[in-house]
Amino acid sequence: MANKVITLNTKNRRLMIHETVTSYLFLAPFLLFFVMFVLYPMFMCVYTSFFDATMGREDVFIGFANYKTLFNDPVFWTALKNTMVIVIVSVPITCIFSLWVATVISKMPVVATSAFRCIFYLPVVTGSVAVTVVWKWMFNNYYGIFNYLGQNMGLIDKNINWLGDEKYALGCIILILLTTSVGQPIVLYVSALDNVDKSLVEAAEVDGATEMQAFWKIKWPQMMPTTLYILVITTINSFQCFALIQLLTSGGPNNSTMTIMYYIYYNAFKLYKYGYGNAMGVILAIIIAILSAVQFKAGQEK
Amino acid sequence: MKKFLALLLALIMVFSLAACSVEKAEEPAPAPAAPAEDAAPVEEAAPAAVTELTLWTYPIGGWGNQETVDALMADFEAATGIKVSVEYLNYTDGDDKVNTAIEAGAAPDLIMEGPERLVANWGAKGKMVNIADLFDATDLEELNPATVAACFADDATAYEYPLVMTAHCMAINKTVFEAADALQYLNVETRTWNSTEDFLKAVAAVNEYTGKQVGAVFCAGQGGDQGTRALVNNLNGGTFTNAEHTAYTWDSAENVAALQTLVDAEGIEFDAGIVGGDEIALFYNGTLNMAFCWNIAQQLNPNTADTGAGLTASGDEILFMAFPSDSVPQLCGGIWGFGIFDNGDAARIDAAKTFIKYFCDSEATADAVKAANYFAVRDTAEGADLTGIWADNAIMNEYNVLMPMLGDYYQVAAGWAEARTAWWNMLQAVGSGADITESVATYAAQANAAAGA
Amino acid sequence: MTNNRLDQIQIRDRIYRYASAVLVVLVAIAFAFPLYWIITGSFKTGADINAAAPVWFPSEFTQINYEKLLSRRSAPLFDFTIPALKITAFGYTVKLGTVLKITGPTVPGAIRWLVNTVFMSVASMLITCITAAMAGYVLAKKRFWGRTVLFSLIVCAMALPKQVILIPLLREMNSLHLYDTIWAVIFPIVGWPFGVFLLKQFSEGIPTEMVEACRIDGASEWRTFTDVMFPMIKPGVGALAIFTFINSWNDYFMQLIMLTSNKNLTISLGIATMQGESSTDYGLLMAGAALASIPIIIVFLIFQKYFTKGITMGAVKG
Repeated sequence: MANKVITLNTKNRRLMIHETVTSYLFLAPFLLFFVMFVLYPMFMCVYTSFFDATMGREDVFIGFANYKTLFNDPVFWTALKNTMVIVIVSVPITCIFSLWVATVISKMPVVATSAFRCIFYLPVVTGSVAVTVVWKWMFNNYYGIFNYLGQNMGLIDKNINWLGDEKYALGCIILILLTTSVGQPIVLYVSALDNVDKSLVEAAEVDGATEMQAFWKIKWPQMMPTTLYILVITTINSFQCFALIQLLTSGGPNNSTMTIMYYIYYNAFKLYKYGYGNAMGVILAIIIAILSAVQFKAGQEK
Repeated sequence: MKKFLALLLALIMVFSLAACSVEKAEEPAPAPAAPAEDAAPVEEAAPAAVTELTLWTYPIGGWGNQETVDALMADFEAATGIKVSVEYLNYTDGDDKVNTAIEAGAAPDLIMEGPERLVANWGAKGKMVNIADLFDATDLEELNPATVAACFADDATAYEYPLVMTAHCMAINKTVFEAADALQYLNVETRTWNSTEDFLKAVAAVNEYTGKQVGAVFCAGQGGDQGTRALVNNLNGGTFTNAEHTAYTWDSAENVAALQTLVDAEGIEFDAGIVGGDEIALFYNGTLNMAFCWNIAQQLNPNTADTGAGLTASGDEILFMAFPSDSVPQLCGGIWGFGIFDNGDAARIDAAKTFIKYFCDSEATADAVKAANYFAVRDTAEGADLTGIWADNAIMNEYNVLMPMLGDYYQVAAGWAEARTAWWNMLQAVGSGADITESVATYAAQANAAAGA
Repeated sequence: MTNNRLDQIQIRDRIYRYASAVLVVLVAIAFAFPLYWIITGSFKTGADINAAAPVWFPSEFTQINYEKLLSRRSAPLFDFTIPALKITAFGYTVKLGTVLKITGPTVPGAIRWLVNTVFMSVASMLITCITAAMAGYVLAKKRFWGRTVLFSLIVCAMALPKQVILIPLLREMNSLHLYDTIWAVIFPIVGWPFGVFLLKQFSEGIPTEMVEACRIDGASEWRTFTDVMFPMIKPGVGALAIFTFINSWNDYFMQLIMLTSNKNLTISLGIATMQGESSTDYGLLMAGAALASIPIIIVFLIFQKYFTKGITMGAVKG
């Protein structure tokens, strides 16, 4: 009896070794790229953040000094605040807006549904640079379309320097970000609405529930996983907004559109503070990790 | 299918290996322990003759134009057998590109720009080759002493060999000024404003006549910041740095007062949405009637609407002007030349020196200067006379009235790159209504911190 | 009475439905507008572009913007070198001379940028699909040491913004001699674990019995993968392919950091650089934006179905 167990174990172990070896052979091509171009730089990012690394000399170990400087850097706090504003404003709006569009277009004929889905996805496909360039023109202070429309419709009485005024610049960035980020959630919600258990909805309608009631009581709970996924990807997406800032405002005016993402770039390639930039990257990664974890936990509890 | 996939995978792997070092095969490999840029120049046992160099240039007149540069490089290749591949940078993200390339150990052999970048920035950070040996006694005699001073970091170290120079100025739409009866406030002959007060009166008059903004203190980025610096400094007799170029002085009472004047001036707006290049475009198309980012190259350029040099898109006449001042205007100088990045390969450095000698100090210099649309920094180069190259150009001759007003070349002050970043951030803060004294103090302190470091 | 109320509710529902349909149409028009503005803008004359009142439709169609775009900064159509290899490690240097070097005819820079972009997108797509299919298969179907750790690493890495690692990545590409080559952009895309995650989810949907049956028949692991597994996850691979293609086409950040030479630029980066040079020539910029976006929009429209599937698949078990 005991003997048998041992043989089984050795057999199991041998099988396990075999499986492990073959598995890693299959994984090898991916792992090569993953380790070299994702994990290793990630490790180096944390490592270099403890150094005073700049152009023209060897890196000097300085412990947590970069992090200390970081917490006393007012621009970092501005950048963190702006990043948070972008996330807090754009994530809920993206979710609500795309849910609304999805419910409306999913009731339309199939052709119309897919046509609308396409249109809302267009800004994503167009690419951040092309989108940015055309929005820059539309926001132009002197001959942009927004100032023209605004004046003609009597909404504004003199031209607004949209991207050059600290009151509006961040709002403009968020608006552009929204147009480029609702595409994916709409696609997801449309398919989630398709997959809702139809018999439950019908039963509810027979019982005299209004469309609204049917939606909130039956469809919404079933779409919870989709919503959670959308929350996570939209959050990550909003954190990563970079091209818009770099091409439109360079963080200005008066740091009003400075985000952590851009501040990292700014420190690294305008001020040559590589170690400092890395420290900021580490902090950003931690913030995102915490946020994603919280979102997941919240979603699972529901 | 499977075979096809396997083949594809194999092919991709081979290609990825093959592509690994396409361009860099001839460069010496960096020592494993130290980054390439820190390696001291080491003589290779038998340096092969260098047949290829890389040059990165900023848009310095025609040196930003591929056709012009290709012709110059073809001449150079014919004369020396060295092929030069050129990359064109711009002032918006050019610095970032060079900085990235340096960090990646892939800086070009040669770079064309001014001492503020070559000497004060990359030179000071140890990235450039000392080319003091290129300046022989005759050169030092021929060259304009101010430009030589700007190219030398100290008595024995030079990071740039100058080619051309100019004075940066401003410009007004003469046709509109005339119609607004504002020409009375300036002297068309000497291209100066009667006084700071008259400048403001002129702005007010044009503002009233056109009913719109006259000029913009652009500050979206650093592009063209020499214009805003000169405007602020001249307005009230302030300075940008101290005479020794060791500290930034924009927090002085004169500069604060000048900024206050600009904030208060009806018709001049702070615009954090545009940089110098945008301002020029807006001036050309008549949106603005005054440009602070101007120099001879703009005056000679036919504009995009092709109405001709010295005219706006609608055909109005453009008048280049000194900056408003109560005494003699101190114009900001522009000096451009070549520097060599230290890539640790003596043979390439020698070839790069050959390049500099060829374009800055030989019979070919006249063409190189003409291509740039600026003034030569010397009267003769290896016996070739350079004084007459612009003789037949009326605009160039007119522009000569501004050249004596060239002020101190302070752009070589320590921490320059950080200081100019702080400068436009300061303008943005002031433009968005922040307290002037406070903002100027904050950002000047940032600049001074960089200068002291 | 009850009937009446029901009718009212139905009427209200119907009004809501029509009103929101109209609203969605309006919003959709606003969404399509930037694209319309790019395309029409690229055909507008300078006067139309700078007109005080926007010109809604070009008063005359001009090609000048495209001519300007194509007359800038020429570059060879392609360079192809095998192998100019030199590897230095631990003080030893392996050096192979250039065996073959082909340089294409000189073309406008923008055309070369397109060639680069297509090459980059196709290469990223192919390598990603192959590596991700293999990795996704074993992660879903095999039990092996380190599996849980590896999978959590993959999930964590997915949440991290790529930009965070830019500085170390730049230094690494330099020491690999990959800086300013298109591979410096491709490799990090391939290393990004989203594809593995996606195909792992997809592979889990394939019944394990099929794989088991194949193994009992004595097929090798590789055969099991290519003959049984791969055909079944093909739809997933197709979705991943189109997803990677479009994302790498539009990726901007990595390109900005890694590429400098005119001949190595991609179309997005080329347009961004152009914007730095002539930031107010909107006609030219729109021509560039059109050249950058129209090809990818066409690809998207053709493969739309797969794409939609790909997006939804990633979320199923997310």
